[in-house]
Amino acid sequence: MKTRANFSTISLVALVVMSFTFMSCEQKVEGIKIAVAGPFTGNIAAFGEMIKRGAELRAKEINAAGGVNGKTLMLVFEDDAGKDKEASLVATRIATNRNILAVVGHFNSSCSLAGKPIYKRAGIVELSPGSTNVRVCEGSDWTFRNLYRDDFQGGFVAKYIKNVLTDIQKIAIFFDNDDYGRGLKDGFTNAAQKLGLDIVATEAYDRDNTDFKAQLTSIKAKNPDLVFISGLYSQAGLIASQAREVGITVQLFGADGVDSPGFLEIAGDAADGTYVSTPFVFELGGSEAQRVAKAFEAEYGVAPDTWAALTYDAVGMIVEAIEKGGENRKAIQKYLASMTTPEKGYEGITGLTYFDKNGDCIKPAYVKVVHDGKFVPAEKQMLDTEM
Amino acid sequence: MTQFLEQIINGLVLGGIYALIAVGYTMVYGIIQLINFAHGEIFMFGAYFAFFCVTTLGLSFWLALPISMLLCALMGMLIDFIAYRPLRNAPRLSALITAIGMSLVLQNLARMIWTAKLRKFPVETRPSFLVANKIILPGGAQLSFLDLFIIVLAIGLMIGLNRLIYLTKIGKAMRACAQNKVAANLMGINTNHVIAVTFAIGSALGAVAGVMVGLREVVEPTMGYYKGVSAFAAAVLGGIGNVTGAMLGGVILGIAEVLGAGYISSEYRVAIAYIIMILVIIFRPSGLLGKSTATRA
Amino acid sequence: MRVKLSTKIVILFIVVCLLPLLTYSADLLVQWASDRDISLPIPSGDYMLRILVQAYLYMLLALGLNIVPGFTGLLDLGYVGFYLVGGYTAGLLMARLGWSYWVAMPIAAVNGAIWGLLRGAPTLRLTGDYFAIVTFGFSELLFRVVKNEEWLIGGPNGFVTDIPAPNLLGHELYHYWQQYYHILILLILTIVVVHRLQHSRVGRAWAAIREDERAAESMGINLREYKSLAFAVSAAIGAVGGAFFAQFQVNISAGAFEFWESILILCMIVLGGMGSISGSIVGAAILGSLGELLRPFGGARYLIFGIILILMMRFRPAGLLSIRRHG
Repeated sequence: MKTRANFSTISLVALVVMSFTFMSCEQKVEGIKIAVAGPFTGNIAAFGEMIKRGAELRAKEINAAGGVNGKTLMLVFEDDAGKDKEASLVATRIATNRNILAVVGHFNSSCSLAGKPIYKRAGIVELSPGSTNVRVCEGSDWTFRNLYRDDFQGGFVAKYIKNVLTDIQKIAIFFDNDDYGRGLKDGFTNAAQKLGLDIVATEAYDRDNTDFKAQLTSIKAKNPDLVFISGLYSQAGLIASQAREVGITVQLFGADGVDSPGFLEIAGDAADGTYVSTPFVFELGGSEAQRVAKAFEAEYGVAPDTWAALTYDAVGMIVEAIEKGGENRKAIQKYLASMTTPEKGYEGITGLTYFDKNGDCIKPAYVKVVHDGKFVPAEKQMLDTEM
Repeated sequence: MTQFLEQIINGLVLGGIYALIAVGYTMVYGIIQLINFAHGEIFMFGAYFAFFCVTTLGLSFWLALPISMLLCALMGMLIDFIAYRPLRNAPRLSALITAIGMSLVLQNLARMIWTAKLRKFPVETRPSFLVANKIILPGGAQLSFLDLFIIVLAIGLMIGLNRLIYLTKIGKAMRACAQNKVAANLMGINTNHVIAVTFAIGSALGAVAGVMVGLREVVEPTMGYYKGVSAFAAAVLGGIGNVTGAMLGGVILGIAEVLGAGYISSEYRVAIAYIIMILVIIFRPSGLLGKSTATRA
Repeated sequence: MRVKLSTKIVILFIVVCLLPLLTYSADLLVQWASDRDISLPIPSGDYMLRILVQAYLYMLLALGLNIVPGFTGLLDLGYVGFYLVGGYTAGLLMARLGWSYWVAMPIAAVNGAIWGLLRGAPTLRLTGDYFAIVTFGFSELLFRVVKNEEWLIGGPNGFVTDIPAPNLLGHELYHYWQQYYHILILLILTIVVVHRLQHSRVGRAWAAIREDERAAESMGINLREYKSLAFAVSAAIGAVGGAFFAQFQVNISAGAFEFWESILILCMIVLGGMGSISGSIVGAAILGSLGELLRPFGGARYLIFGIILILMMRFRPAGLLSIRRHG
């Protein structure tokens, strides 16, 4: 019967396709493999670009100096598009690939949170150079990060506004409705209220949205002195320019999600004067940071941003863990978990990183401001790390 | 009060946009009973065409707009020719699936070629007359020239379309085909030709909407999907197959969405469109104005 | 009902059941070789099992979706809605209330069926296009609710995490080989159920409805009953898939239940042949694997799916394996 013959051939085709899929796994080549997971596509791909370059620069330098234990360091880039659903899929993909020893990533808090239980089940380290939500390192021995948390960042921004931008009293918050935006909004609101600032409006937006005028009009009616944008650069850029179009003329303040050259590109003139909190500022870094910045610019033609720096350090930390701990997943985790004091910490270009029992670290926050279309360090910084 | 007025203005602008897109859906449905899923993507391509005209080619915005309209009209006709015409006599399911496939192809083509990066019309390329000026209405509400222009343009195009459909020969042919293709054919009307024109007009109007949204907001590959769904809901609301209905539906939906977003909850903005769509189909499938040309499915 | 099993199918079945053994041996082999400093280009067993698990899951979903358009001729564009219902029912019960999978899964299935009926009730009279639109709107609404209703879900974007795997005699069955048998059993059960339905009075009634609703009605077939049954069964299967997915992936979020997922599954049954069980399975196998293969190419995946849809409808609308002879 014709169907039988068809069935055999089609099934054969299906089987062939499936076997190809098996083979699509990274083949074992002599070398040390680390995965780097981040938003390499999607509307926040500017982050991914910097992350990729930061990682690649570090790998290049390491390999030029002899590699890891004499072996070539190879990076496997996995794209989560900034979405938690993709992150889950990427995490299972990475976790089942026995050649990958550790993960530098993810970037977005929701993605790191999505990966966390999967990495925990599989027993592979997740070291995030960008996730700030408070829950990211909770409940798992395998998750670490080398930057601050959002309860700290929220409090920091509130304190900065109170102490430095002294004529601000009424604040409107416009936040991205994901783990990061929400968590930071909560951190900020708590701290602001304790400091006696008034939160006159709190509006949420969806990252898929491109028209914010309805909510901005609503915010304008409440007459804030400052609008705090708790979200990522793409939407923040649109919000900034649309806010000006709607007639909001007051100060804008963004958090580290806004710290990207993409913000300047999208917001254009509207960006001028916007403050941004961030985990690192190259201009205020040490001599090693300057050297890396020059090397980065020589290699890629653009200046590195905060995320390139944090990724650069994260890769370095994993490599140190491999060299001093062992070439397997568990050894890496043990080594990182043992970095509990400043003496045992990692001195990188972004500062000294050491972990508490959760995998979080205490590092200062900086402030940048947009001046003439560029990010420059704000005049006044607040570098103490007390909450 | 000021806020309310400004929200209404936002709603009218959005409504104008939806109306422009909705007529595309409704005309195609009226004439070949196909939900052209790919129409939203044509809207999106319209925005991209104009964007690249002003940035890469350095043309004036006022030149980019008609160029984009032309390109989209061609694109619409091409899609009909390649994907839909061969299935003219196939079961409706097949055509619908093809339309979905087309939408997938176009959206991802855009995403692959241009990436998901948000693109804003650079300051120098925006028509300064429109962007820089605004009127202050009584009560303090601001109405930018751009918004005013969009509303006026939408109204003008709608009136023009109406004139076309009811007062010209080609419009008569379109109405005839919508009523009964076989009879129209027998009367000597080249139905394929007329259908192509329908696609062209719908696509050109979609392009206008795309360019305006691109200018006012941003250009990115998924814009067609979101606006498209809402516009489709507007078409359904007004009565799918009914051009005037599409216009009316567009305005109503635009205002409803904006008021909902501004006063109730911004998160359910698009949900308003879905809810209206479902309720209308279940309780009053012929929409507000019903199909102006008879035959029911 | 006697089903003739050809030897090919029996062999396939045996191989499928023993696959984890094969992958485990492969792992041992690689370890043996690596101890002697030889590296073999064989991926890890877990990797292969994971791909198979995902493929089987898609097969199960394809079978579920197949019921409505394939057996009754109505285009369901909102199938992902039931996948969502199952995933969240099971996910929330297990993660938030700590219920066992063995209880949560059947509840998810039943809940799915209920939602299937809920969606079906007002749409019984609707014809092709309108029905499709309502199914689309319905699943998108569910998606939006889950995405935004924090009080219900407890996290932004509908994020529910730490969903445990089923617990059998004290062991949490999360290892990939355990998941493999888990989904395999679910898949086989689904195949059996769908097959028996297809070759029963119910299946014949569905076929009659698909061919000509009015004629079927005049022959005494209660449209409402049979259509509702189709909706309920289809939805229940989707929900079962969702429940499995929730514990397999450990987290679920709104993003996994977008409209395009429905289209993907639709693509699978279109490719394989609507109305055909083996068609659904083969379509799912090919597209599921293709999806994974093309993962590094991002948008190209959906582009190819779109092209497949267009080409299939143009040149072979009955699908690759359709056994229905159509005019």
